[in-house]
Amino acid sequence: MRGTLSSALVCILLYGILIIPFTTYLRNKPFLEKLGYVPSVTALKSVAADHKEMVAASLVMKVLMYFGGLSEKSQESQVVIPPDYKAMSRLLHGAVKLDPYNMDAYYFAQAFLTWDVKQYKIANDLLIYGMKYRTWDWYLPFFAGFNSAFFLKEYEAAARYYQRAGELSGSDLSRLLAGRYMQESGQTELAINYLSVMMNGEKNPALKKNYQLRLTAFREARRIELARERYREVKGAMPATVEQLVSGGFLSPPPMDPYGGEFYLEADGKVSTTSKYAFAGVKNHKK
Amino acid sequence: MASIILITLKGIFRDRVFQGIMVTALAFLLIPVIASLSMRQVTELSLTLSLSMISFILLLLSVFLGGTSLWKDIERRYTSSVLGLPLSRQRYLLGRFGGTALFVMIAAVVLGAAAFAVVLYSSAIYPPERPVIWSTMGLCILFDALKYILLIAVAFFFSTVSTSFFLPVFGTISIFLAGGVTQQVYEYLRSPASKSLSPVVKQIAAGLYYLLPNFGAFDFKVNAIYGLPLHVEGLLLTLAYFVVYVGILLSISAAIFIRREMR
Repeated sequence: MRGTLSSALVCILLYGILIIPFTTYLRNKPFLEKLGYVPSVTALKSVAADHKEMVAASLVMKVLMYFGGLSEKSQESQVVIPPDYKAMSRLLHGAVKLDPYNMDAYYFAQAFLTWDVKQYKIANDLLIYGMKYRTWDWYLPFFAGFNSAFFLKEYEAAARYYQRAGELSGSDLSRLLAGRYMQESGQTELAINYLSVMMNGEKNPALKKNYQLRLTAFREARRIELARERYREVKGAMPATVEQLVSGGFLSPPPMDPYGGEFYLEADGKVSTTSKYAFAGVKNHKK
Repeated sequence: MASIILITLKGIFRDRVFQGIMVTALAFLLIPVIASLSMRQVTELSLTLSLSMISFILLLLSVFLGGTSLWKDIERRYTSSVLGLPLSRQRYLLGRFGGTALFVMIAAVVLGAAAFAVVLYSSAIYPPERPVIWSTMGLCILFDALKYILLIAVAFFFSTVSTSFFLPVFGTISIFLAGGVTQQVYEYLRSPASKSLSPVVKQIAAGLYYLLPNFGAFDFKVNAIYGLPLHVEGLLLTLAYFVVYVGILLSISAAIFIRREMR
């Protein structure tokens, strides 16, 4: 009896010694290892048996947890490794092959494949795939419409997608079809509109924060655009720099890019920022 | 035969299997919390997790209860005393099967009720874009239960040919996995992508498709989760398939069991 008790105590003691380095090791495991490798979808489908939807959901959750963890670290100002977008995309693509109805996968892929990775074509292909299944969902054509108009500058396709989104939602989404959005000059407003819709429907804190930042940046850009127009009306010419707008009293307070970049006017008067509306943009610019 | 069904049912309850399920079912309480992590489909995720959990518990029940029921009786020499009574071997086998199937049905109803409660709670807090179709959810659970009753019939078939515990359990698991992909394989064989395969392989695969139970047909999870319409014709055909396939398996099992030498 005493022997069993002491061996149990020794084991518990060893467990106590082991558990801290063990959890530290797991916490610091390389991200790629954490995200893991997805075996071929065909193999996964076979092994998942009748749990395909659950396996798909768990793949999405894995990506979400991974991304959420990184965002948390960046907020705590820890050293941040850039997210492994390729692995994230691979997992989400695998997820929709298993469950083509999984909205979280499309939604999250749209969130990072466009602004961060600039893979607009891949994003739209994924959305088109989703539209075949989620025939009732207005979000997918809404996303595809935005990608087409804002990133790809394919206004005809964008109009088609927005039309579909408007029909499905039955709301005033069709106002996005307004001509001014479908041209270069309406891009900032289009982005503000899109980001407002996205942010209002978002409950994931990491993503909401992302949208909030981007929305603030675009609202600042819109303020500059409006000041630029007033300047042109008053002075009869385009301003050359943002500073001109600030010093001339057209823009107060001075614009602030939440991504840490600086706003500037391009030769044709278009408002841009050195951050390109992403933290990564600032780093690249500084390099 | 009714008494054998009752005895089987009582035996399962006596073995505290039901309490085991209830403890496992406590995990249902965690589902709303996990589902709330979803960005756009909390209710759908609640449904996914609930239905998967029911399916998993029923799988364990059917493999272990179905695979060990006859084996345990033979091992305990229970069969020799029971079969001394004026009771045919077929009736004994069918009674055992009926009792186990009934237990799986009861478990499905109880777990289904828990799943309804979980989904009701999730959908009240995070209203889904498309309303939950409760009848589809109920049918999904019912067909899941039927699938596992069919699996019990497979386990009973293996039990009649085997003298050990391993063939019924591992054989049933293998058939379950294979039966879940036969439809996919069959569709692949009919697609142009399979051109490179040799005709012999194709024929063997096609033969297996008709021979093995098609468990994929009983899976209506995607319909229940996303509120997709169910087709009555498909449901009726699946139901008929279930009756006929279980009939074939039980008939063969009974024929083998009659000829089997008991120690």
